[in-house]
Amino acid sequence: MSRLLLKNREAQDGINGHLKQNYAQQGRYDEDANQEGILWLVSSGDLPEVVRKLREDSSLAMDRLADLSAYDNVDGVDGAGRFVFFIHLYSSKFHSRMRIKCLIAEGEEVPTLTGIWPMANWLERECFDMFGIRFRGHPDMRRILMDERFEGHPLRKEYGLEARQQFSDSLPIRMVTENEVSK
Amino acid sequence: METLLKNDLVTPLQDYYNPNVLLNLGPSHPAMHGTLRVMCRVNGETIEDASCEIGYLHRAIEKLAENKTYHQWIVYTDRLNYCSALANNVGYVMAVEDVMGITITERCMYIRMICLELARVIDHIICVAINALDLGAMTVFWMLYTWREQAYTIIEGMCGMRLTTSYARIGGMAYDLPENFQAEMKIFLEGLPKTLDDVEKLLSANRIWVDRTKDVGILTAEECLGFGLTGPVARASGVDQDLRRDRPYYNYSDLDWDVVVATKGDVYDRYLVRMEEMRQSLKILKQLCAKLPGGSIWTEDSRVLIPKKKDVYEKMEVLIHHFKIFMEGIDVPPGESYRAIEAPNGELGYYVVSRGGPKAWRIKIKSPSLALFQSYEHSIKGAKIPDAIAILGSLNIIAGELDR
Repeated sequence: MSRLLLKNREAQDGINGHLKQNYAQQGRYDEDANQEGILWLVSSGDLPEVVRKLREDSSLAMDRLADLSAYDNVDGVDGAGRFVFFIHLYSSKFHSRMRIKCLIAEGEEVPTLTGIWPMANWLERECFDMFGIRFRGHPDMRRILMDERFEGHPLRKEYGLEARQQFSDSLPIRMVTENEVSK
Repeated sequence: METLLKNDLVTPLQDYYNPNVLLNLGPSHPAMHGTLRVMCRVNGETIEDASCEIGYLHRAIEKLAENKTYHQWIVYTDRLNYCSALANNVGYVMAVEDVMGITITERCMYIRMICLELARVIDHIICVAINALDLGAMTVFWMLYTWREQAYTIIEGMCGMRLTTSYARIGGMAYDLPENFQAEMKIFLEGLPKTLDDVEKLLSANRIWVDRTKDVGILTAEECLGFGLTGPVARASGVDQDLRRDRPYYNYSDLDWDVVVATKGDVYDRYLVRMEEMRQSLKILKQLCAKLPGGSIWTEDSRVLIPKKKDVYEKMEVLIHHFKIFMEGIDVPPGESYRAIEAPNGELGYYVVSRGGPKAWRIKIKSPSLALFQSYEHSIKGAKIPDAIAILGSLNIIAGELDR
């Protein structure tokens, strides 16, 4: 019942084929349960460049960032790397989706996408907050949901569900002005 | 700026001429809709810089997703956007069904579409009514909330709950529609359009409303794309995008309805878009109620089918099956799916990663409110303080979904 219409399916298959043929040489290419393409990057350093290419490519036109986060790969099912970083992209032209994934080692920095989509700002902050993945070149790399004094990263598998850290007072909001960013 | 905060020597008179006065809005203030907080640097009444802080309603819902079974987590989806819990329920179970490869029945699909559209109507009612209330138009609030009450009566009949519905199940629905459903729905479908007309008569040409909302909080189409805005806010800015039409799920492509798009992207256009979307949703609801097929609401797939109570009491195998579903949970095969629906506020996505077993490895919720609140920081710069309240109301940010 939730299957795609034929025209959407054809568009999605076209995108998948194009991805597999032109972008998956170095990396892995998978498809998920909905037959949407997953492109695995070999190195996270290529991320902004690949994303720009995917956006400029007229047969993909991946112009909207739908979501960005990571998941823990502590058991190594997806390969060698502590985390799997992922972004969901949407093409307003073809109404198709794709996903980029990349294995990240503990402490590895991922280049920021804030220069391409301002939306990435808070999503990357959340990713840092939850997993401790830092983003290189991010204008304001600090926690977003948790208190700044919070220790650890709650969505890592080793962080217990029942663990609590309480703060009796609150911190003043820090405003990031343009001058501070350049510092 | 921090020195300013700490500096007790600043006298009120100096403050008056100081272009760097900090004004804190929220987190608990009636106009800040839940637990939203913004720190504004104001010069007179003009906001020159703003910074949002979120996390006040963070309840670790994504962490809980990894520690509860797929079935247990349905209740947490209610608490995301609590103004349209039905839509969250449906979006989530769709994602899990994708991973499991389950096909639902025709009747179940229609009931879910009714849920999605009913959720959209009540969410838009809240947004328009509260936005008007914040700007002083209390009559509109009472007029619209009468119909929200009727909608909640229908929802209560459907699933026994008003706000936290937990109506959808993986592979089916918790309950079938009640006997009086069509009658109650008829009252709603006939009554609400009249009230919508009355509200438009009260607001659309109202001098105060127009002055407070026109050219306020303008977001261009490019800004919407950059900030990842979707839903009515993006459509009010001329972004012609609606997942129900562009990437139809369920039966939307067979129904007669239109995507509502405006051009300017100010608070007034967002109000107009929401009003018209309510009418379109009612149109969809009317068609769904007319076409509602009979039959079972449950798939035959024994992996997820909750056995009938009578059989549980009489047959041992069924009892064991029942026990396994509820005590151990449903075994979902390894795989992943990103399922996005057009929720009232925009694209609501569930990214489910399964590595087998009854618990998800990771569920990431793509919440439309996060993108909306991030754009808020940007769109209130240069606005006046009362405009900030008008803009916030028009974005319809729900803290439960924002902080998760």
